Amino acid sequence: MPSDQQNRTDLDYAVDIVLCVDATLSMKPTLDNVKHSALSFPGRLVQEMATKGRGIRSLRLKVIAFRDFGDRAEDALVESQFLRIPAQVDEFERTVSALGPDGGGDAPESGLEALAVAMHSDWETGLDRRRHVIVMFTDAPAHRLGDPRQTRARTYPQSVPGSLDELFALWGHAQNRGSLMENSAKRLLIFAPEEYPWADIADDWNNTLFFPSTAGEGLEEWEMDEIIATIASSL
Amino acid sequence: MKLGEVVKGYEIITRPSNANAGKCLWAFARKEGADFFVKEYLDPKRPRPDSMGTVSDKKRRLAECRRFELHHEKLSRLLRADHLHAGNIVLAKDFFAHGTRYYKVTDRIDAADATPAELSPEDRNVLLHTLCESIALLHECGMVHGDLKPENVLLHRPEGSDLHIAKLIDFDDAYLSGEPPAADTIGGNPYYGAPEWLSYLRGDNGIRGEQLTTAVDLFALGLLIHSYLIGTAPGFPVRFDSPAAAVLAGEALELDPKLTSDWTALLASLIQVDPAKRPRIGEVLSLLNSARPPVRRAARSRVRINLTGRVPV
Repeated sequence: MPSDQQNRTDLDYAVDIVLCVDATLSMKPTLDNVKHSALSFPGRLVQEMATKGRGIRSLRLKVIAFRDFGDRAEDALVESQFLRIPAQVDEFERTVSALGPDGGGDAPESGLEALAVAMHSDWETGLDRRRHVIVMFTDAPAHRLGDPRQTRARTYPQSVPGSLDELFALWGHAQNRGSLMENSAKRLLIFAPEEYPWADIADDWNNTLFFPSTAGEGLEEWEMDEIIATIASSL
Repeated sequence: MKLGEVVKGYEIITRPSNANAGKCLWAFARKEGADFFVKEYLDPKRPRPDSMGTVSDKKRRLAECRRFELHHEKLSRLLRADHLHAGNIVLAKDFFAHGTRYYKVTDRIDAADATPAELSPEDRNVLLHTLCESIALLHECGMVHGDLKPENVLLHRPEGSDLHIAKLIDFDDAYLSGEPPAADTIGGNPYYGAPEWLSYLRGDNGIRGEQLTTAVDLFALGLLIHSYLIGTAPGFPVRFDSPAAAVLAGEALELDPKLTSDWTALLASLIQVDPAKRPRIGEVLSLLNSARPPVRRAARSRVRINLTGRVPV
């Protein structure tokens, strides 16, 4: 990102990526891999983009760790700010390194809440071209939105809608004006089992890539290099 | 789609990937003993009656899907597989919706592991000739490929031949000359993109869609031919991200001195900033015809290569 040498004629490309990471106990075998991959992410991404002739003028990464509002409200969802890379790479590394598997309670987790919070991020709106990517890593289904066992938690985010239909409306499509995200810029990558709601979302939501894993077996079948390449290709 | 799934009779035989494909997933598939390339689009998705969203929202999405289908039907009508010169253009064999998703199927082309710059002059001439004939057909139909780059030119060596031909793929970013998609949705590659494409995308200098013509492909072709002949694209100052950005800033791209004077003159014309001054594809073909090395009898292949891609009658 040679901002000092920026040329007036170059294409100014902005990339915002939100990593939603399931940090419950069941993710323990996988979390280290996800963290390792996230840490190598900034360098790999810039390298991949340069290979394609796309200089990234602005790269920001954000991490949302989620667990289960119904199990433990205090750390059910922890969200970083967008961190500008490379200027804030140390803070990004600290944020990722601090992720530890804990809690979760029953099998479904608060993945939909994490997705809703990710969609409400303050996405870059300037520059010539933008890519806004949400990456979901989880080994579990999600609680239904509006479930009182979740919504009554004192830390439950106000911005989360009451149903999957309402969340879909916020995702939107090319003909929808109420979308939170720019249609041509947005991508959702889901690394999750074929359980509620991930397969349904992949069916109905545009610009969504679903990479199903076997339920209860974490994300082992996805090599981390493959995941990074997949994310880079989505840019 | 996923590995092992059968989509409208096509069995998916490789794990779907989005490698080099920003707007789709792709995989290889098999049907009735033949192998195919299957592409699944990310947008639009066709809602089912029980899909998410309100009734009116589903109507809007279905209308968008119909526009998407019409676009593909229009391209298929313009560029027909039975056209006399369409033999080296890899066109859709099938286009359909399955569930909520759209798919396009083409023949599977096994790309040869070869580097154009390392081929013999005769072989490279055949390669370039077949590529340019395909582009000529597109332009004759008034179409801009819109995403000419090495990944979209498959090097193919027909069975029993020692020569390579070019198979042109991926027409998803194609548009009618002078009628490109909106600036925020137009496809293309930042490295091979023409200066006017870059300006259009950036909204510079009031550039309008009608200025994006078949000349867009010729700029990319100039870069491609240089790579095929020399092994690298023309040089440009490192402070720029792409050749087009350099050219727009008034910098001349650096052509390799090993090129013949004919090629130097032609490539310099192809990669100039003003699209109106770029030669047409016919001029590139003329140079290829005049530069075709004499065929040595002893080395002549017994397999006939269809240079024009013309479908045998």
